[in-house]
Amino acid sequence: MAAASPTPSPLLSLRRAAKSYGGVRALRGVDFDLRAGEVHALLGENGAGKSTLIKIITGAHRPDAGEITVAGRTLDGLTPALAQQLGIACIYQSPALFPDLTVAENIGLRLEPAGAMRRVDWGARHRRAAQLLQQVGASIAPAAEVRTLSMPEQQLVEIACAIGAGARIVVMDEPTASLTQREQERLFTVVRELRAAGVGVIYISHRLEEIFALADRVTVLRDGQSVGTHGLNEVTEAGLIKLMVGREVAQIYPPAESAPGEPVLTLRGVGCAASGVHGVSFEVRAGEIFGVAGLVGAGRTELARILFGLTPADAGEITLNRERLAPRSPPEAVARGIAYVPEDRRRHGVVLEMPIAQNMTMAVHRRLFPGGWLRGAAEQGLARDFIRDLAIKTAGPDAPGGSLSGGNQQKVSLARWLATQPRLLILDEPTQGVDVGAKSEIHRIIRQLAKDGLAVIMISSDLPEVLGMSDRIGVMRGGTLTAVLPGGSPAAAVMAAALGQNERPDPA
Amino acid sequence: MKRYFREISVTLALGLVLLGLAGFAPAFYQPQPLLSLATREAPTLVVACGMVLVIICRQIDISVGSQFSVCSVCAALLAARGWPLAMVVPASAALGALLGAVNGVLVAGLRLPSIVVTLATMVTLRQGLNLVRQGAFVNLPDSVQWFGLSQAAGQWTLVGAALALLVAFGLAMRHLAAGRWVYAVGTDAEAARLAGIRPQLVTFLVFVLLGALTGLAATMNLVQSPQVQPMVGAGLELKVIAAVVVGGVAISGGRGNLWGAFAGLLLLACVSPALTHLHIEAYWEKAIQGAIILLAVVADGVRQRKQKF
Amino acid sequence: MNASGSHSAGWKSVVLRYETLLFVVLVAEWFFFYHYGTTTNRRGTVVGFGTLDRQFDILRHSCEIGLLALALTPVILTAGIDLSVGSLLGLCAILFGKLWHDGGLSIPAAAALTLVAGALGGGLNATLITRLRLPPLIVTLGTYSLFRGLAEAITHGAVTYTDFPAGFLFFGQERWLGLPTQAWLFALVAAAIWLLVHRTTWGRAFRTIGFSPEGARYAGLPVERRVAQVYVLAGLIAALAALIYTARLGQAKADAGTGYELFAITAVVLGGTSIFGGRGSVTGTLLGVAAIAVLKNGLACLPVVIRLNAAEEMSGLLTGALLLLALTGSVLPKLWSSFRSRHRRT
Repeated sequence: MAAASPTPSPLLSLRRAAKSYGGVRALRGVDFDLRAGEVHALLGENGAGKSTLIKIITGAHRPDAGEITVAGRTLDGLTPALAQQLGIACIYQSPALFPDLTVAENIGLRLEPAGAMRRVDWGARHRRAAQLLQQVGASIAPAAEVRTLSMPEQQLVEIACAIGAGARIVVMDEPTASLTQREQERLFTVVRELRAAGVGVIYISHRLEEIFALADRVTVLRDGQSVGTHGLNEVTEAGLIKLMVGREVAQIYPPAESAPGEPVLTLRGVGCAASGVHGVSFEVRAGEIFGVAGLVGAGRTELARILFGLTPADAGEITLNRERLAPRSPPEAVARGIAYVPEDRRRHGVVLEMPIAQNMTMAVHRRLFPGGWLRGAAEQGLARDFIRDLAIKTAGPDAPGGSLSGGNQQKVSLARWLATQPRLLILDEPTQGVDVGAKSEIHRIIRQLAKDGLAVIMISSDLPEVLGMSDRIGVMRGGTLTAVLPGGSPAAAVMAAALGQNERPDPA
Repeated sequence: MKRYFREISVTLALGLVLLGLAGFAPAFYQPQPLLSLATREAPTLVVACGMVLVIICRQIDISVGSQFSVCSVCAALLAARGWPLAMVVPASAALGALLGAVNGVLVAGLRLPSIVVTLATMVTLRQGLNLVRQGAFVNLPDSVQWFGLSQAAGQWTLVGAALALLVAFGLAMRHLAAGRWVYAVGTDAEAARLAGIRPQLVTFLVFVLLGALTGLAATMNLVQSPQVQPMVGAGLELKVIAAVVVGGVAISGGRGNLWGAFAGLLLLACVSPALTHLHIEAYWEKAIQGAIILLAVVADGVRQRKQKF
Repeated sequence: MNASGSHSAGWKSVVLRYETLLFVVLVAEWFFFYHYGTTTNRRGTVVGFGTLDRQFDILRHSCEIGLLALALTPVILTAGIDLSVGSLLGLCAILFGKLWHDGGLSIPAAAALTLVAGALGGGLNATLITRLRLPPLIVTLGTYSLFRGLAEAITHGAVTYTDFPAGFLFFGQERWLGLPTQAWLFALVAAAIWLLVHRTTWGRAFRTIGFSPEGARYAGLPVERRVAQVYVLAGLIAALAALIYTARLGQAKADAGTGYELFAITAVVLGGTSIFGGRGSVTGTLLGVAAIAVLKNGLACLPVVIRLNAAEEMSGLLTGALLLLALTGSVLPKLWSSFRSRHRRT
């Protein structure tokens, strides 16, 4: 149970909230309270259930079980519209604004009453926008187009909207992820003002120092469960990290059996200005699984995109098998033996409308179909082999990719790249949204590939997975690789590196 | 100012063309031919007002030329039967609105791509008209000519009406909530939905409005000549789209305004007299129009790419 | 494709295929016109739709639009569109006439240069679409006007090139091995496009791009290059259509192929190719072309249409209406399922 709340009627409370997505239990009976005039931090690893909790509070998703009470009213079906009416506002990491319109107009369209034939009072719009922006301490011109604003500035516009709408409950989802120190302090002032005005703020952040600086209470989520709500004066940073990662790694991972061989991939000071990656250096050996840990937005996927030629590097040097590698496009990267299993399966990993056989052969057209002539028998043969080897559950090679479950789609995506017989395999969140059974199968496959001598880079937000699978662990933070730890390092060490604790060993 | 870069550059280009004409072909500036030119372009301007809305809403309508023909012929037939203009004009606008509603239902209701839908309605309307009319001209009673006024008065009335509509729509798009909704839907339909706007309804209504304006424009053309031929309005869609795109209304929606489109229309309208005055054959007009459209979208494309990085 | 699944499933999928339905409709349409469009004149000879000459006429007339439809099939499979093919046909016809008549080139040389010009015209579309990432719709709307305008400018809207040698006209007006000559050329191109779309990795890539351009990029497919190739190919085929058009009529005019893009797009969409990309077949396109050609020529044989002297208008009207119907039909299942799922949720 959560800590008993001393106030009789909290602003918002959740009781035994549970939610599953296609067999994956994202929340398993969470209790949560928010009082008026408090900043309540929500802490947990990626995938611990924070975003699901937020989606339930904002009415975007309906819980499978449990009840929500807002201002004493128990709500059965909370919808986004109703949530808005009740004064619940959410500031997302990437705001949903109109990029072509000005800031004043964006605020106006949200806050002004309905009525198509109403005259737009531009003067009032600008005055109101200016006042709200001043309230959040943003030096943004109301006449600026939103597309010209930086992401943090757009967040401030969202917060201004929330204040303007008279929100009683404000959810902030990692609002400082891309803020500078000064912007961050300004935001803190805004949050404190909101608190002073009696607003309840749910504050999600990975930065512990922020939570200690700002929050009154903190609730830690792990594996879809609440592992406790504490006043910030009751806990230490080390204690929180321990709560987040748990005492031990619950799952059994296949053991490492291979001794890493020659270096396959070497990076020296690699960067790309467009995607914010800079100064990344490391090497990956044959037969090695190099885990890449870090928070969302730390630049891990961006690094993979550089290696795959999607956003070419503009600094540093990459070598693959001692030859210079500078892919300008994915076809070039594929030709050099690089395989990338992307994070977003449904948009990038599998073409949902196409048969899985065609999905599997997509990257091996040249080898499988000499002269460009399709050979149905070869394609079917390859697909059958992979369906058997990877134990893909499907009606057959001609079933469309969209008909498979998440785990099996992931296996199809994996098969596509294994078919290329790559030298380097990059996996981006290989088991995200995959049920437990398929997850351990995928782990076994990855381990087997490494044993066969493949160099593997495994990007993952699943900390136990990184710890259990990796031979070495690279930790990224703020667009660069900040630490390389040996496999089997304690979870707290990796977490601390990802949170930047190694730079500030003794925060206030 | 950067925000209105396109509008300003088109106005500058227009100024350059006008200056060039002043230098090389001062005959262009005789008042009577100039007024005639303005009168000829007045209906186009009215259609362009509607097209701006449709393109800002991230759609397109290439059936306006055919709508224009259908409305012209129907209005002419009514006028020939002795209907007073005061009834012919609203009837024509209503017919146009109906034709626009057909496009609107198909695009907004069934979510079909507007280019293919309006390509189909363009041909259906055009051939349907040809089938029924067999290319026959409609002779108009004298009372219809220039609204029964003198030619100069009629011309001024038309130009004035077109400009009044331009100003009305220009102001409405800027100062009426409904006008801002069109921008919102064209910028991001999903965000618009979150802000409580109904994107499909807005899309439907801009097509209806364009149709109504096209019907109105047809009657503005009607009063200029003693007879109406059914091919009137053929190619109007390209002229209008060219003017709008040249005037800085982004084909990707959400950006641009009527003043830019007006400048674009004037620029294109000066092309053909400029060609004659500069002794370039008029056969180049279509090619130049196409080249200008391409140039305008290329400029937009290059600029957007620069902004991205 | 040649899925070695159970035979009953294969049999079922053939019967339930859209192409089969279209084929049945085509046959019905043909018999309708055969019945109502064939008459015997006063001298006792059979005239109208049922004659062999008329059937050959249908073949001849459908070749140019058929070629454009074949050119557009890969374009639409990649979720693109090319409105400029009809105009490019006109421009190529004029270029060919000018090169031969005024340029003094031999017919083969002029034809070769015309094909190059067509590819360049398609290349202009391709460059603007892939390099500058502009929407195909507005790019090809611009070139639609540009190409036609250039044709008019070259001919001053009046010049018509005629008096082509008999050796050239053979391709448009004579028969070879019993069939109109251009039908053989058309069959050749159709076979080539069929192989390209259904039997090669290029066709596979077109579909993938049509379904999901991002998915194709992440699969390491050369997306930009394939899209560019599709538009260049469309230009090349439009030039070939221009040559056949000129040979059939024996003259090259600036208005050659006006409005053909509509017939071609209609044929492709009617043939079951999704305007949103990915889905579709060349067989469907060929059936769509046949359905439109039979409609066009059959109408001209109906006594009532002859009396009205309105064959051209009728076929245009019906084609436009047909396109609207086919479009509506193509989204109805999607609308229905989203409607149903919405109602199940609430």
